[in-house]
Amino acid sequence: MPVVQTESLTKIYGDDSHRVYALNNVSLTIEQGEFVAIMGPSGSGKSTLLYLLGGLEGPTNGKICLNGDDLSTLDDDDLSRKRRTEIGFVFQFFNLIPVLTAEENVAIPLILDGVPRSRALQRADEALIQVGLLDRKTHRPAELSGGEQQRVALARALVTNPALILGDEPTGNLDSRSSDEVVQLLRQVVDNGGRTLVLVTHDPRIAAYADRIIFLKDGQIVDENRLKGQASAENIRERLVKIAV
Amino acid sequence: MKTSTWAQMARMAWQYLMRRKLRTTLTTLAIVFGVALIFAMELVLPGVEKALEQSLEAESEGVDLNIASATGDAFDPQPALDTLHNTQGVAAITEVLRRRIILPKTQQLGDITQIELIGVDVATLDQVRTYELRDGRFLENSGEAVVAPDVGKTGDTITVVTAVGLKTFAVVGVLTQGGLTPRVLIHLDEAQTALAQPGLVNLLEIDFEPGVNKDHLTDQIKTALGDDRYLYNASVSDEFAIMDIAYLIFGLFGVIALFLGAFLIFNTFRTVVIERRHDLGMLRAVGATRRQIMQLILIESLLQGVMGTLIGLILGYLMAAGMLEAMKGILDQYMGQFFDIGLLVTPGAFAVPVGLGLLCTLVAGYWPALRAGKTTPLESLRPASGATVQRAANWGLVVGFAVMALALLMLIASTKTTIPGAILFLVGAVIASPGMVMPAARLFNPLLTLWFAREGDLARGNMVRQPGRAAITASTLMIGLATFILIAAIVKGFEQLMSDLVDRSFSSDILVMPTVIGTYSSIVGADEAQVEELRQLPDVEEVAELRHAASTHNGQRLEIYGIDPQVYPDVSPMLFTKGESAQAYGQLNEGRKAILNPVAAVMLGASVGDTVKLITMQGQQPYEVVGIANDLLNLKLATVFISQESLKTDFNKTESIMMMINIESGADTQTVAGQVEDVLREYPQFTIEITSEYRSTLETMVSNNLKIYYGLGLLILIPAALGLLNTLTINVLERTREIGIVRAVGGSRVQVRRMVVAEALLLCTFGAAVGVLVGVVVSYGFISSFSLMGWEVDYVFPVMGIIAAIVIALLLALFSSILPARNAARLDIIRALQYE
Ligand SMILES: Nc1ncnc2c1ncn2[C@@H]1O[C@H](COP(=O)(O)OP(=O)(O)OP(=O)(O)O)[C@@H](O)[C@H]1O
Ligand SMILES: [Mg+2]
Repeated sequence: MPVVQTESLTKIYGDDSHRVYALNNVSLTIEQGEFVAIMGPSGSGKSTLLYLLGGLEGPTNGKICLNGDDLSTLDDDDLSRKRRTEIGFVFQFFNLIPVLTAEENVAIPLILDGVPRSRALQRADEALIQVGLLDRKTHRPAELSGGEQQRVALARALVTNPALILGDEPTGNLDSRSSDEVVQLLRQVVDNGGRTLVLVTHDPRIAAYADRIIFLKDGQIVDENRLKGQASAENIRERLVKIAV
Repeated sequence: MKTSTWAQMARMAWQYLMRRKLRTTLTTLAIVFGVALIFAMELVLPGVEKALEQSLEAESEGVDLNIASATGDAFDPQPALDTLHNTQGVAAITEVLRRRIILPKTQQLGDITQIELIGVDVATLDQVRTYELRDGRFLENSGEAVVAPDVGKTGDTITVVTAVGLKTFAVVGVLTQGGLTPRVLIHLDEAQTALAQPGLVNLLEIDFEPGVNKDHLTDQIKTALGDDRYLYNASVSDEFAIMDIAYLIFGLFGVIALFLGAFLIFNTFRTVVIERRHDLGMLRAVGATRRQIMQLILIESLLQGVMGTLIGLILGYLMAAGMLEAMKGILDQYMGQFFDIGLLVTPGAFAVPVGLGLLCTLVAGYWPALRAGKTTPLESLRPASGATVQRAANWGLVVGFAVMALALLMLIASTKTTIPGAILFLVGAVIASPGMVMPAARLFNPLLTLWFAREGDLARGNMVRQPGRAAITASTLMIGLATFILIAAIVKGFEQLMSDLVDRSFSSDILVMPTVIGTYSSIVGADEAQVEELRQLPDVEEVAELRHAASTHNGQRLEIYGIDPQVYPDVSPMLFTKGESAQAYGQLNEGRKAILNPVAAVMLGASVGDTVKLITMQGQQPYEVVGIANDLLNLKLATVFISQESLKTDFNKTESIMMMINIESGADTQTVAGQVEDVLREYPQFTIEITSEYRSTLETMVSNNLKIYYGLGLLILIPAALGLLNTLTINVLERTREIGIVRAVGGSRVQVRRMVVAEALLLCTFGAAVGVLVGVVVSYGFISSFSLMGWEVDYVFPVMGIIAAIVIALLLALFSSILPARNAARLDIIRALQYE
């Protein structure tokens, strides 16, 4: 059973006078244990696709199945539960709650799920170890660098051991060495934990770690490349340039 | 293992509160203020009420039934006594004549300013009740008195002001219980002489045979004596009509305070939710349910409610103590010390403020919480779209204007609907204000550009971006200013009315006035002989006297004045609103005719030509209304003017409580005043005033007293100021990152500061503009509905009030933006950029 399956997914923003097709007729299937990178020019609908997959927003048309559940049949509580137990999210902006410490931020999904606080914090610590930030656990977001904040957000996405991890440029603020580390960590989570990962990125070097790359342009899938981790960054960059023109 | 998450939510709520101290403090202040105001009211008002009740309560221990005249005045007891003596089951009856007497300044006994003079019939008293003595013996011989402990001790002599001059009594005994007003017991016949009411009493105290059914017998007596002349088991109500007005004013104030308090709380949590959009969206994105988000906001509001309520209770207590002092001052001035008011701390006093503090925070937090629950996860990921906000605002504009239009119709339609109309107008303005933000911003933009050049644009952008919040802040200010203008208009209207009346009422040359105005029942007047003596003075042309009695109508007090229609108009012409003055005065002496003041006209539902039934000592008597007119002294009390002849026959009253003297032309006012003083030296309850001097003192006094209400009006502006401070501070906090960007791209500190100040000015100008409009409409509504209550107050356009309101608004804007502007300017650029 595929983890993610979409059928002619369409998302239109704006009103009748001014329509924006953020996604246009996107059908795609992602199997368990797959690492999928989504690429495309700015404004091509990458974030929108991720939000729809995460059930943060409903599509204008089309259908999304997550672990076999049709999202349109779920009510808000079920969606919330799915988000905190089955999905881990790293967003492009504003990831953390400013008044909470790094550790508390990581523990939020567990706490929301009713895991006792001490246990939740313990698991948050384990996740922080994974991203190498345990020594910063009592810091608040404002006291962390942009890259550190993103790693804390990543730890939060991993803390529930979700089946599906959705990342919207989680390495956008990292230097090349740190982003390599992060993406290697993610690759590991996919390979050893049987997780599924969908990653939006502009960076061909990151995309090169993926099993498959989906290229979006103007809300449509324009190309798909099953690399199984074999493609080189150069390769991908060439393709991107081709799409952009 | 899973647990319920509400404790975790509570923890998170607490973290929000604790890590944002400035904001928490500002928000809590709003609650503190609301709770404090209401708690203060709750402490003071019941205290006043209790004092009233106690003083009304004839401590009639052992008395099975007491009977007073329906008018509250003295009556001839004989007919009632005859009936009662023939009634089976009545064991004994004793007659009482009592009167509260305010002691003139020169005659005060220590710090006692008033006493209750009680004439008792020693022969029958002990068959009905006993007065316990702590010292000495009870009355035996004439010229003796038994007094309350604080009045004196056995062996003293006390001097009391009476209708026939000063009288001295020897104290032979001291009561155990002094009564709320210190009592002085004397022989009935001496009391009757002293109060110039020979043969009359105002209370019959009755003892029943043991074993009879009290209710049954009381009913039987009621049937026998009739209902229209007597009150049964009623405390002799006196003097307190004026308290109704105080209640009205305080009640109105309390309601406004409550409304503003709740509004402020609501405003705050609404802002909290808007401001925390990102955080809430993020929580939703990582899996928080709607319920959990609602819990978070509700718990947070509850926590603040608890903190705010606790502090508010403490502050409220202090405010109450202060208010009490102020009130005592006012009451003393107007009516003498009637009672001891104390703060009454009962469990009940906590109910409303605690209820408001907690329940109201919860309720006020509920709507925002509901909204918070509906926050979509995406709100944290994408900046809010302005379109929906503006659409809602536009709807508000349509609905608000519709409501305002309806309100205006109600205002014009009839005097009965003016107050609801005025309030509805205010509500309409509140609804419409979000929609007015955009046009207003555009309207005021040129001004802003003039003052602030580029920063003005940024400020306008900020305001327009959050029309809801801008509108709520402006609305708080608007309500505050509207209330202020309302008060100003009322004060102005009354000032005008007063000065008209003062000019007319005092056209005599010399005034002989009781020391206390407005509550004549406790004044012992001068008898006819004294007045005659004044008339005989060589330089006195005429003496107009005012005589007083009291009556009731449906349980409400009615003041009855006896005037001499030949003389009275010369010295104190009334302001006729209906009927023609010469004709009305002319008719007054022709039997039972009456001139009503507007309050009485409303109470009795009568107009010129109607006949009203007045409860007199002779039962109900028909009086024909010959005119409706205002008179300064009785502005707020229901008053009926009749001839002195009628007052004598129907109310048994002949003493004068006020005399207005015109002197012969050419005579020296000062000299005549001295002669008058000589004649009345035995009557220290009167002060002799040269009218022209008195008039100006009175005018200053009136306007000084009215100024107190300006103080109240300013108090109402405190929540408005808090709301403004709150919004501006939160604006700055929320825009920290933007301010960082402005600074990073080269904005100077001064520019950032100007941006914040400009926004404050914009908000305040907007609030002031709407506030002035609403204030004028609302005050017009209130003033015109006063005529419904019988006060013909002209609407005086409160120019000064409006100017003051605008100045206050601008000052508030500057004042409340100082702190946020400084904070904004001092922001560390790097920190600001990192701020989430
Ligand atoms: N709330 C919205 N209202 C109107 N248009 C929107 C809204 N959200 C997104 N869009 C539009 O939808 C399109 C897709 O946006 P999306 O955020 O998915 O792009 P993206 O591929 O993530 O771009 P980037 O790489 O810059 O993050 C864009 O053209 C954007 O302008
Ligand atoms: Mg994006």
